[in-house]
Amino acid sequence: MALQMYIVALRNGYSEEASRDVQRLVRQCDGYILMVTRTGPLIALDDSKAGVISKHPLVGFMGPVTLNPRGIAAERLQRIFAENLSKQLEIRNTGERGPDS
Amino acid sequence: MGVGQDLLNVPFPKMIYDMAMAIAKGQLALDKSSVNTLKILANTKFDYIPEITETLTPRPFSPPSKPDVTITGVDVHTDISPSAKLTLLQAGIVPTFYQFTESIIEVKMSISSKTETSSSLDVGVEVTASADFLFGSASVSSHVNYSTASKYSYSVDGSSLLRTTLKPAPPPQRIMPRFITVNALESPPKITFSE
Repeated sequence: MALQMYIVALRNGYSEEASRDVQRLVRQCDGYILMVTRTGPLIALDDSKAGVISKHPLVGFMGPVTLNPRGIAAERLQRIFAENLSKQLEIRNTGERGPDS
Repeated sequence: MGVGQDLLNVPFPKMIYDMAMAIAKGQLALDKSSVNTLKILANTKFDYIPEITETLTPRPFSPPSKPDVTITGVDVHTDISPSAKLTLLQAGIVPTFYQFTESIIEVKMSISSKTETSSSLDVGVEVTASADFLFGSASVSSHVNYSTASKYSYSVDGSSLLRTTLKPAPPPQRIMPRFITVNALESPPKITFSE
């Protein structure tokens, strides 16, 4: 699995509902939400699943991005990404173990 | 048809041209997508809070039930610096650019030619002789059977493989904007350039 970072731009501008629907779709495709912006979410997703997201009617554009370590807030962004990622990994691991274990 | 002619019939120039055109078209589409991503990143703003200062000060206290016991307490005072609008591009998220680094055209041909010749020869001689009172007779008969068969088969099988490698590349300098920061807090103002 080759995870790549993408920015997803919502087709008809930001709405909480649309943003949530796209995030849910990303999670269904085994992707992770790194950060949510008013343009759309920044996600980490397997290359092979990118087509599923980009073809969704709520998605206007999806492009691959990279974190430039020399950016003004790169460190801060990295921390935000890591924090959001760890929460989602926790949820996934709990789900895989099941409620009884 | 000869083997040499079959090899010459492989449309190498066309294959190379078609592959080069496909790569050029693919590269153009990828670059356009990256430039679109750049525009989106440059237009996506968020509130950036550069600093949050937490000041911890001691605040010892005694619980009402045990006034002679002092518990080490602490006061946390939080100062949030004013937020600034920052684009994702300024913050450090850049579009990924891709580049085709290596392309291979592989053509495999298997040519087989088979010739089979078989011949058979059957020769027979029959002699009969008889003698009587006044005369004798004799007859000689002979036969030759010759048959020949030739089989010729020629087959050409071919397969081609076109492989190209796509790798992320650093953004082209002319596409990426240059950030010029003028720090007017210092005197004289300090100007820094970054990409």
